[in-house]
Amino acid sequence: MSVNPGQPVVAVVQRIEIKKLRQGENLILGFSIGGGMDQDPGQNPFSEDKTDKGIYVTRISPGGPADVAGLMMGDKIMQVNGWDMTMVTHDQARKRLTKKKEDVVRLLVTRKSLEEAVKQSMGKKYPCYKQ
Amino acid sequence: MPLDRFADMEEKLWILEDLNMMYIRQIALSLQDSDIQKKIDHEIRMRDGACKLLAACSQRDQALEAAKSLQTCSTRIMAYMSELQRMKEAQVMQKVTRRSSDAGPMDDRLPCKGKVAISDLRIPLMWKDTEYFKNKGELHRCAVFCLLQLGGEIFDTDMVIVDRTLTDICFDNTIVFNNASPVFELRVELYSCCSEDDYSAGSTPRKLASKLSSSLGRSAGKKLRAAMEPGSCSPISNGGATPLLLPVPSVPGPKYHLLAHTTLSLSHVQDSFRTHDLTISGNEECSYWLPLYGSMCCRLAAQPHCMTQQMMSGCLKVKQLGGDTQSWTKVYAVLKGTSLFCYHRQEDVEANVEPAFTIGINKETRIRASEKDPQSKVQNICISNQYGGEEVTHTLTTDSREDTHRWMEAFWQHFYDMSQWKQCCDDLMKIELPSPRKPAPATPKQGSLYHEMVIESSDDLSSTVSDILARRMQELELRSQLGTSPTWMSMFEENNPKSAGRPRPCTSRLSGHSPSTPHRLPRSPVSIHRCPQLGLLSSDASLTSDSDSHCSTSPCTHHHVWPDPSSNFSLLSSSPSRLRPRTLSLDAKLSTLRGRGYGGGGTLQCPCHTPASSLLTPLPMSSRSPLSQHSTQTTLSCSSSTSSNSSSNSEGSHSPESSEGAPFSRPSPARRSLRNLRARLDPRNWLQSQV
Repeated sequence: MSVNPGQPVVAVVQRIEIKKLRQGENLILGFSIGGGMDQDPGQNPFSEDKTDKGIYVTRISPGGPADVAGLMMGDKIMQVNGWDMTMVTHDQARKRLTKKKEDVVRLLVTRKSLEEAVKQSMGKKYPCYKQ
Repeated sequence: MPLDRFADMEEKLWILEDLNMMYIRQIALSLQDSDIQKKIDHEIRMRDGACKLLAACSQRDQALEAAKSLQTCSTRIMAYMSELQRMKEAQVMQKVTRRSSDAGPMDDRLPCKGKVAISDLRIPLMWKDTEYFKNKGELHRCAVFCLLQLGGEIFDTDMVIVDRTLTDICFDNTIVFNNASPVFELRVELYSCCSEDDYSAGSTPRKLASKLSSSLGRSAGKKLRAAMEPGSCSPISNGGATPLLLPVPSVPGPKYHLLAHTTLSLSHVQDSFRTHDLTISGNEECSYWLPLYGSMCCRLAAQPHCMTQQMMSGCLKVKQLGGDTQSWTKVYAVLKGTSLFCYHRQEDVEANVEPAFTIGINKETRIRASEKDPQSKVQNICISNQYGGEEVTHTLTTDSREDTHRWMEAFWQHFYDMSQWKQCCDDLMKIELPSPRKPAPATPKQGSLYHEMVIESSDDLSSTVSDILARRMQELELRSQLGTSPTWMSMFEENNPKSAGRPRPCTSRLSGHSPSTPHRLPRSPVSIHRCPQLGLLSSDASLTSDSDSHCSTSPCTHHHVWPDPSSNFSLLSSSPSRLRPRTLSLDAKLSTLRGRGYGGGGTLQCPCHTPASSLLTPLPMSSRSPLSQHSTQTTLSCSSSTSSNSSSNSEGSHSPESSEGAPFSRPSPARRSLRNLRARLDPRNWLQSQV
């Protein structure tokens, strides 16, 4: 997951659909994010590439909507409901996740284990899996 | 005399319209289909109403909305009329073919219909940097909306005003079409209308006069010309080759023009967001022009009925796998989606009981009728699936030959549907209908230091408080990571909960608690005793974050008051660095304060802000003097919270979650690595937000 500014990013992503939970007036997702274009990427404990300014999941409330949907700590969020999250500031990212009008957020997330899973499956002798 | 000519033409158009209406009625009568007739009548009435409204309204946005309804009604009328014509043609063709030749048996299988939903439409814009960043030029505003057409159904989205401060045009609506065939064509049209000051013919704009007195810029002059020329009101200008079958009556007022369009079909359907190209009509010279990037992003999902409805159901007998050949199990089978669900009894289906077993029916399944069973003289149905490398075959049979035939027919139909709907039949795509939103409660957004807080149910404060406590206890226990009860609970039990409105100086509070009490204590006493309900009703988010990171998130620095006696608190001493003033980024600080202002149901989080509720006596500022005497930091943070609350918006509550640093007050060696991770997630170094 190396990030070169201006270059297209290729990643194996998993689609995660989180249904927001209503708590009184608020809709919560049950996780925390870190990172962003305006943050120091060196402080990110989850990223492989320490220049990666993407948005990462730093905490999941156990039993919360994100946990139920399969989001894991350390995931990098690539897209939220069609909006790109690889080049956004921290506050922009938070806003995109917490729109009051949306009940469901559809995320595209990536993590190292996904890439490894694909590599392993590509190792098997199934010709249809070849690119 | 051009004006005369136009009046003449108008009259002619009205006559034409009347004639057309008669023609339509005749067709509808002959088709004996009054349904479309009613719809056309309805739309025409709506359109007349919109015209009248347009002529009558004075406000620009009202006029824009009315013009939008006008456009929608006109398009719907066109659609209904073309459908009517098609039906008439089909009828005529049928009569012709029947007379001429024997139409062969209609052997064509029809695929099932389905629901198609389009949502989260987003159209990016591409402003010149001089316009976007440097704010050059006049603020050119346009009103835009989308018309979506599939089959005979036409829906419009809400109208959005676009100017150069927007990077994308977003439409929040979810539009669902209920009766789409797999070869559907969803036409998306973007209409826009220049939304400048009122240039409609008739009113003499004051701004015009002022503009003329100064000089007319090139763009302003363009707009003026566009608005003033009578041609802009002509019916021809409604975007393209629309037949003049029922022309739009010319009405003064804003007029929408087609800016871009695209057509989506089954190949564009996917369970995620995709980008599609737009065909843009118009150019920069038009008044309704917007610099579109040229694409549109949306989520197009489809639910064919074969995935959501029961396609076939009935009683079957399934042969036990591996058992002897004569053991059959009677089941009630339901064919839906990608499976054949087999229930023990028919009642189980409604009762939502789990089926006894499920046989997969998908694109790779093979179904064939086997040889006639010598005993029962009925053919068996064999369903074969590949699971991993193995082939698993289920054998079914029915009671009669007709039933077998019907089931086979149902399976063939199902396979045909799946072949027609293609990727929509791999998995069920979710379509969310927007939930009816409760109207936002009228919380004052700015200014008030005293937030209103509602306590429902009885007037008896003490019982209410204990109810609330009990509820919060339950919720917290369910949600707390450590499973420990919230620390304020113990404190509360020993003290009289009916201490509403009895402010105690914080120093006495402080001394009342032994150092061994957990870290959350420093914050809670004052909050609880000043306003017990509020401390409890503060959002779960803030409470859990409190459990994790206590004072570190709150800008209300009661904890700042106690750095001196901090050595008395064992836990605080374990992380003394927590009490240093936080060096969060300004953005984070503001959002913290904002989050504090709106956590959990509009209740109060910041104890500095004592909310006034009808049941609480509002605590005057002076009562907080004991606090403020302790350190200047307190007053500073209070005032900053105030100002941030006054400027905050209702973006929903997010109390930015700072560190996870010390949820474990007694770390075990096994958790050291986790603790390391948590230490690295210290928000002083790296900002985190809770969503």
